[in-house]
Amino acid sequence: MTAINEGIQFCIFDLRRGQHEGQEIDKILFFSPSDCPFPTQLSVIGLCEGIITFTRIFSPEAPCEVIEAERHSHVFYEAESDIWMVMVVDKNKDAESIWRGDALRDILKEVHSLFTMFHGSLRALLEKQPSGELARSHLYSFITDYLTDFHVGKKIQMPSFRDCLSERKTIQMLTISREVAIEVQSLVTVIGSSCIGNTICNSMILFQDLLVSTTLSPDDTTNLFTYAVLRLTPHALTSNTNSWSYLRKGTSAPNVAANTAVSNAGSASEGYQHRSRDTSPGGQSQRFHIPRPLQRDKWSKRKDGFVVTDVWGAEVGTSIPLSPTLWLQQTEERAYLCVYQHRNLTIMLLIPVCLMINGEQGLSLVKKQLFENASQKIINVEEKLSRGWGGENAYHVSGYRYLLVDRDMGISRASPPGKVTTLTKDSLLALNKLREEVDLEKSRAKRDKPDSRKDFEVCIRARNNAWIIAKVTRGRELYMVLEKANETLLFASDAVEKFSNRYCDGAFSLD
Amino acid sequence: MLGKVSCDQPRAGLSGSGALSHVYIQHPPLRCSIPETQGLYHDDGNKLILAPTCDQVLSWNIGPSTQLDPPNSDSISEGPVLSIRYSLDKKVIGIQRSNHEIQFKNRETGETFSRRCRQDSESILGFFWTDCPSCDIIFIKTSGMDLLSYEPELNTLRLVEAKRFNVSWYAYTHESRLVLLASGMQCNIFSGYQFSSGGIIRLPKFEMTMAKAEANRKPVLAADDIHIATIYGRIYCLQLDRAGMLLNLYRFYRDAVVQQGTLPIYSSTIAVSVVDNVLLVHQVDAKVIILYDIFLDSLAPISAPLPLLLRATSSSGRQTVQAEDNLAATYGGTIYGESWTFLVPDLICDVDNGLLWKICLDLEAIAASSSDIPSVLDFLQRRRSQPGMIKKLCLAILRTIILERRPISMIARAIDVIVTSYSHLVKMGGALSGGSVSPVQTAHSGSQHGVNSVLASEEPTTRIVNRGKSIREESLTGAENEQQQSTAQSKPKQSSCHSVSDSECDANMQAVGTGLGDMSLAKSSSGDLHASVAREEMRKATGEWNSGADFEQSPLQSERPEQSRTLSDPCVSNQQGSQLTSGAISPDEMYNFVFAPVEDEMGGDPGYLVATMVEFLRSVSKERLKVHPNLYVMMIQLLARTNRYAELALFIRNKIIEPSKDVAFQLLELGRENLPIRKLGLDMLRQLSLHYDYVTELLQDGHYLEALRYARKYKVVTVRPSLFLEAAIANNNPLHLAAVLRFFSDFTPSFKSTSDFNRYHHILTEMS
Repeated sequence: MTAINEGIQFCIFDLRRGQHEGQEIDKILFFSPSDCPFPTQLSVIGLCEGIITFTRIFSPEAPCEVIEAERHSHVFYEAESDIWMVMVVDKNKDAESIWRGDALRDILKEVHSLFTMFHGSLRALLEKQPSGELARSHLYSFITDYLTDFHVGKKIQMPSFRDCLSERKTIQMLTISREVAIEVQSLVTVIGSSCIGNTICNSMILFQDLLVSTTLSPDDTTNLFTYAVLRLTPHALTSNTNSWSYLRKGTSAPNVAANTAVSNAGSASEGYQHRSRDTSPGGQSQRFHIPRPLQRDKWSKRKDGFVVTDVWGAEVGTSIPLSPTLWLQQTEERAYLCVYQHRNLTIMLLIPVCLMINGEQGLSLVKKQLFENASQKIINVEEKLSRGWGGENAYHVSGYRYLLVDRDMGISRASPPGKVTTLTKDSLLALNKLREEVDLEKSRAKRDKPDSRKDFEVCIRARNNAWIIAKVTRGRELYMVLEKANETLLFASDAVEKFSNRYCDGAFSLD
Repeated sequence: MLGKVSCDQPRAGLSGSGALSHVYIQHPPLRCSIPETQGLYHDDGNKLILAPTCDQVLSWNIGPSTQLDPPNSDSISEGPVLSIRYSLDKKVIGIQRSNHEIQFKNRETGETFSRRCRQDSESILGFFWTDCPSCDIIFIKTSGMDLLSYEPELNTLRLVEAKRFNVSWYAYTHESRLVLLASGMQCNIFSGYQFSSGGIIRLPKFEMTMAKAEANRKPVLAADDIHIATIYGRIYCLQLDRAGMLLNLYRFYRDAVVQQGTLPIYSSTIAVSVVDNVLLVHQVDAKVIILYDIFLDSLAPISAPLPLLLRATSSSGRQTVQAEDNLAATYGGTIYGESWTFLVPDLICDVDNGLLWKICLDLEAIAASSSDIPSVLDFLQRRRSQPGMIKKLCLAILRTIILERRPISMIARAIDVIVTSYSHLVKMGGALSGGSVSPVQTAHSGSQHGVNSVLASEEPTTRIVNRGKSIREESLTGAENEQQQSTAQSKPKQSSCHSVSDSECDANMQAVGTGLGDMSLAKSSSGDLHASVAREEMRKATGEWNSGADFEQSPLQSERPEQSRTLSDPCVSNQQGSQLTSGAISPDEMYNFVFAPVEDEMGGDPGYLVATMVEFLRSVSKERLKVHPNLYVMMIQLLARTNRYAELALFIRNKIIEPSKDVAFQLLELGRENLPIRKLGLDMLRQLSLHYDYVTELLQDGHYLEALRYARKYKVVTVRPSLFLEAAIANNNPLHLAAVLRFFSDFTPSFKSTSDFNRYHHILTEMS
């Protein structure tokens, strides 16, 4: 382990595989960095497996969440039954390496849900091809592509305490007036019914990087939203820097570096694949085309407004790119993803594959119809949204740095990243710490009484005299930093009250 | 409610009634055939049909065609009659005796006097009464126009102004208050004046175009070839170009006359009627009618030319068609026969047989003849004549298109039409929230506006901008209908006799137009309106009207209120009562008569219905109207039925579904299976400040501490303490129970003396 200096290890393994001595390597579905020697990989996984098995004795349902060692943190996530994802992060002396376990686990969750959205569940892939080759190669390209977004220079930088006023795996919504909302809904009907027959297709509409409308289930919405912000929105399409750095203003990743990282990883992958092929019984020699939906700079906007990619390969014998497809949890079916963009408006239409009997031909017809039926409405809606759009700092509330999470709806809203960077490190560290406590409290409450909800409120006066506030009530969470504030607690609670009445419909003001 | 709708359907459905014609005249006609009468005259100012005999003049009020009252009579002296018109206050009868003499008789005093012109140099072409401020009566002479005012004390006329120019012939309708004076070799150069209550407006001189028949022969325009038509309160003129076989359409503006285009004709003789603002061009030779709705300046006909139908009394579906032959037989005359005269705006008079019909539109048939549903609805909504029927037709059409699952875009346009139309009605101040309309008020303000501003305020270039106004103006006809009805029912009781000679009313428009008397629409209307609804604003409006004209109110007024209150259009099967003046459909009615029945019938596919409802909301919010919470409740149910909870949450969040108590409780009910939805309901209760309900719901969920805090903050004292205490006991937490008990002891002074206190105190001691 000491040999690895990347600062981060990322592995996925299946406890149902490689149960016999000498075949342990079969457990490993993914390991990053890929050039890490096998004994090291095995030792990491061995430790994890040991801990899981051990803790299962006491807590069969939720065996292990995290190991805090002196120099490393191991963050566990059981993605599917017996398939574990573990992230090992270095606790080096660098003061920036302070994070929150749940934030890291959210990354594991996110990468797994995205993977499932495009490729289906890992278990299904493993069952489809028991040697594991299919799953491994899919995982390899997918996670490598995913991690490019975290490259800072040559290092992978995981979200740290500086990101504690943001919440992964939630969607950010645009606030719109009722009138515009109705217009949008009317547009949703037009888009959805541009398909064949009477079925109204699912769709999702984004304005900039914010959700405007969705007809998908909350889980599907979160996944597709995440993907859209990563790769599809105008911002993701045009910017050469990655989208996460947009959220974390301070750290910008030079594209060149990211690319080199990918190509390095790519060359390393060859070796990895050879080795795994050697180790897998009855090795696969067949090459399959693996769509790499997270590959950077592969989507582009055509002149007609449709956003297209060729990463799903081409139709057999032609060079016509295949349309992207993804798996919807709610309907349990594959759907074509059709993306249309007008200025800041991104429209995603999901057409069930089973409806498209003649594949690509039918799709281009649908696109044509969509364009004909909806283009005027799209222009109108975009204009209205642009007119009402308050800019990057639209949701800034002066004096406050906040994060608001609605767990029921999976929605969050936070102070704009540019404003969060003005906070001092002390404040952020204190909030990070507080959030960790809240996470702990929440999971404890959940373990005791899964159905009940725990409401609580914490106000802390931090070392730099800032107020750090957390308030959890009825499935909603509010985190807040008030710097340069008055010293009385009354002031702090008043501030929360005001904020709550003004921006949360009074959800947090309860006495 | 539903029963009514379904029982109406056979009539109001899309089937129409035979569809053999779009226009019909209703049997039986008004019979004006008294043996010794000498011709029939139309007094369009007073809406009278006048039949002079040797010593009296009989008058029929022209109301609904079923009107069978005996005529009134006034005695007149013997002599020839060229034309006859009552003054607008009906105090004076004017009778043109010859080309040089008009005789006047004061009906109260019986005194008569005559006014003559110079025999050698000029002759009188005709006269009409006016309500313009400066004069009462206008003489048209070959040498020009005399504007005179009537002096009741002296029982004589005083010349106010004489305008000198050559006149070959003239055309006037009281409806438009416009007189067109023809001059020139071809009689195609016109001067025009409008004598409205706002004053006299002089139109610029203009020339009508005529095709040349042969090289050297220039055709001469006849008075028959000119038809003034008032449509949507705008004034048009149709000019028949016999050589070119065209009908030229001109529109009059205050400062210009603009040719709007040409209509084709298929007959050498044509007649023009305006029924409920639809322009009817009778192709007399071909015996068909072509309908135009020139609201949007489109000159495309509404539908194919179809014949005029003579219809039995009750339009009971298809039997009409069979009965038609018998009717034709009993009628005796011929449809479009020689003796037919077309009276302004929508009457047909068979002079030989003394019969009078009102022309009606068969809206069902027209609606059924077009597949462009939004246009059909638009057309129907612009009609004012049969509001009940229009409403039913529109509702039936809406239900049908939704049930047939027509494309949403089409439904959206259809709904837009309906909502916009209702919104205009509301903006006019005519509609109450329930969709019931105070008819007279609406109608009146319409007519008021219409006549005043037709020429006065419209510019050619601002037609689109004026759309709202035009719609207001369109109710002009509505006003007149009302009025006809009221006038008809409130027959003047006076009768006096006069002798008349001469029957030169020879069945042509010109004769009718020029030769007959005239009285003030405005005044009689103000009288009617005044009597029917005693409203302050009404008074103001009518006051304005009266200011210019003679101020004496007719004695009829006092006896009208009761009558006019009971009036109802026979065409309307009056389920909605007599309140209706418009077929506009309120948002509530949309819910009750469209969405609710459709939901019952539709069965599956709630998604489609939700989409139509969103389109409805879009229209409604654009017009800033309100919808009934039941609609939202239904939307919620539909969304929940298809498990579209995420969308439902979005709808609530964006307030597409507006918060209300009903909505909140629907969410709470759904929330029994879905916690996040329940929370939405709770949040809504809190946002609506429904404190009692909120606290009760919190207690139901067992959140008694939160409920207690909330109750204290908002001083909710109506929730029984035992509910809080029970919840604390249910949680088996003595500490909390003690706290709750303490809370009530401290904050409700009398609590300690209640049995509740003792009971729970006892329980507490047992628990701890």
